[in-house]
Amino acid sequence: MTTLAGELRKLPAFVRRDFLVAWSYRLPFVTDWIGLAFQALMFYFVGLMVDPSKLPTFGGEPTTYLAFAAVGIAISAFMTLALGRVSVGIQQEQLAGTLESLLMTPTSPATVQLGAVVYDLIYIPIRTAVFLVVIALAFGIDFYASGLIPALVVLVVFIPFVWGLGVASAGATLTFRRGSGIVGIAMTVLVLFSGAYYPLDLLPNWIATLAELNPITIAVDGMREPLLGGTGWDGVGRAVTILLPLAAVSLALGAVAFRAALRRERRQGTLGLY
Amino acid sequence: MTGGSVSSTSSASTPALRSQLSGSPRSSPAAPAAVEAIAVSRSFGPRRALDDVSLAVDGGRIEALLGPNGAGKTTLVRVLTGLVKPDAGAARVLGVDTWDCPRELRARMGLVPSGDRSLYLRISGLENLIFFGRLHGMSKSEAVARAWELLELVDLTDAARLRSGFYSHGMQKRLSIARALLTDPSVLLIDEATHDLDPEAAARMRELVRGLADKGAAVVWATQRIEEIRGFADGVTLLREGQAAFQGTVSQLIAVAAPRRYVLRLGNGRAAGHELEALLRAAVGGGTTIAAADDGDPDDFVLHLAEDTVLGSALAALAAGGIEILGCREEVSEIENAYLNLARGEE
Repeated sequence: MTTLAGELRKLPAFVRRDFLVAWSYRLPFVTDWIGLAFQALMFYFVGLMVDPSKLPTFGGEPTTYLAFAAVGIAISAFMTLALGRVSVGIQQEQLAGTLESLLMTPTSPATVQLGAVVYDLIYIPIRTAVFLVVIALAFGIDFYASGLIPALVVLVVFIPFVWGLGVASAGATLTFRRGSGIVGIAMTVLVLFSGAYYPLDLLPNWIATLAELNPITIAVDGMREPLLGGTGWDGVGRAVTILLPLAAVSLALGAVAFRAALRRERRQGTLGLY
Repeated sequence: MTGGSVSSTSSASTPALRSQLSGSPRSSPAAPAAVEAIAVSRSFGPRRALDDVSLAVDGGRIEALLGPNGAGKTTLVRVLTGLVKPDAGAARVLGVDTWDCPRELRARMGLVPSGDRSLYLRISGLENLIFFGRLHGMSKSEAVARAWELLELVDLTDAARLRSGFYSHGMQKRLSIARALLTDPSVLLIDEATHDLDPEAAARMRELVRGLADKGAAVVWATQRIEEIRGFADGVTLLREGQAAFQGTVSQLIAVAAPRRYVLRLGNGRAAGHELEALLRAAVGGGTTIAAADDGDPDDFVLHLAEDTVLGSALAALAAGGIEILGCREEVSEIENAYLNLARGEE
């Protein structure tokens, strides 16, 4: 327990380091937000063409396309960014030449892995929440205020699932060096069949049935119900019940894969090579 | 081969380890050396980077790891840190197998890696030290205090808040040393710390490391700058193609390959001309030769001693023949000569 507490006390150091690094690159920081604003604007105009009656209802209430897509954009952007950053967090240390220096400190590999992404795991949910608030204010979307906390809970449960996938992907990247292509394809497929940007009933029946099991679908629907339908905690239970065990499996698999990859690299003596 | 004592102690159990790590290195005659490589071999694909290399360094001593590029120095340092697993043999620091490298051990080891990419170049030197200090378990205030202390030690106080990416190579090396010293380690492993430094910065670095060794740290200093080991290293391990071609003191290194060629500056050598060689032959035997040096200076001559001839006899013979000897120096330094002979496999 003391060791765990000691390891957790190291995480703020990683957050500070990555904040300082991110702050030293001010332009990408600003352009990220500008890109997100243009994406929202684009969906606003697309939404003008979409007949709201074709969209599903949430809590029995109709919705607009922008409101429907906003949650999808938020979750898929979260997924893309978080998975992308987690999977390359260690790779970046490897590329920068700092990985061996980190491993020479009395810090566990799990802390090194978490530390490499902890800043993003804090920043990206904040970015997601800010995005939803800004888009609601800018385009007059009526999110239910009572749905904010339940939606946040779904997001929080979704984080370890994404993190686990990212850690497994980081292990693959450590082993194969260029693993981002595989991650990119997997992410695209998951987002494509998640109902993030369009209703699932537009898909062929059998794909729609499979897509119901997609964790992104579960997270997106779990957030839409309280935010767009005002269902409060009612719609959240199912999402949390499914996402929690998935998150546990994802984290366990990720940890095993990453440790195995790290050990293999040390054994081969190629840890510092990219 | 005169390597240091090699212990055969097995990996320490946790209580034994704690006891070892909490005490000073080599506190009793039976204690293992602070740093040990025991018959270490390691290959990368078909290339054998290390072949049965053993090494032992006690606290307070500096062991120079000498050798040309590709000799295996960096691999040995990485094996000693536990970052690379040996195919055979074992590496131990403070009696503990480094492949198992428990966290307590890492706190007692400092690594200065080769190259300057081991720092976060987008943040300041101060922030680098604070970050690594906190990974060593220090509180923020402890890390800040220690960082300033070390920045002063390596003379980087003025550049503390400057991004380390703006540092010169020498400054980055000093910062890297400061990082290695965060926990006041008992063992320092330094890989090519001076290869791209100017002579003054390199001397400063050696002075700093010598001071640490004098305080009891065991230092492994990998280098290809042979001229820096005299008066600095206590022992030398010369690696050639992954094997220890020599182990001993600097004096012993010089002794195994004594120089045979000297440049003489003669006041009246030109006048003596070809008679010089005859003079020598008559006095010290036929094997010793003398010829004009190819440095363009007509007063310089290269004296090549025969195996059985000593320098003094040759010089005495020339002086007795009326030759005015203004100066005498080794054609290459004695230590360089020894290095080149050993590194090429000639003895």
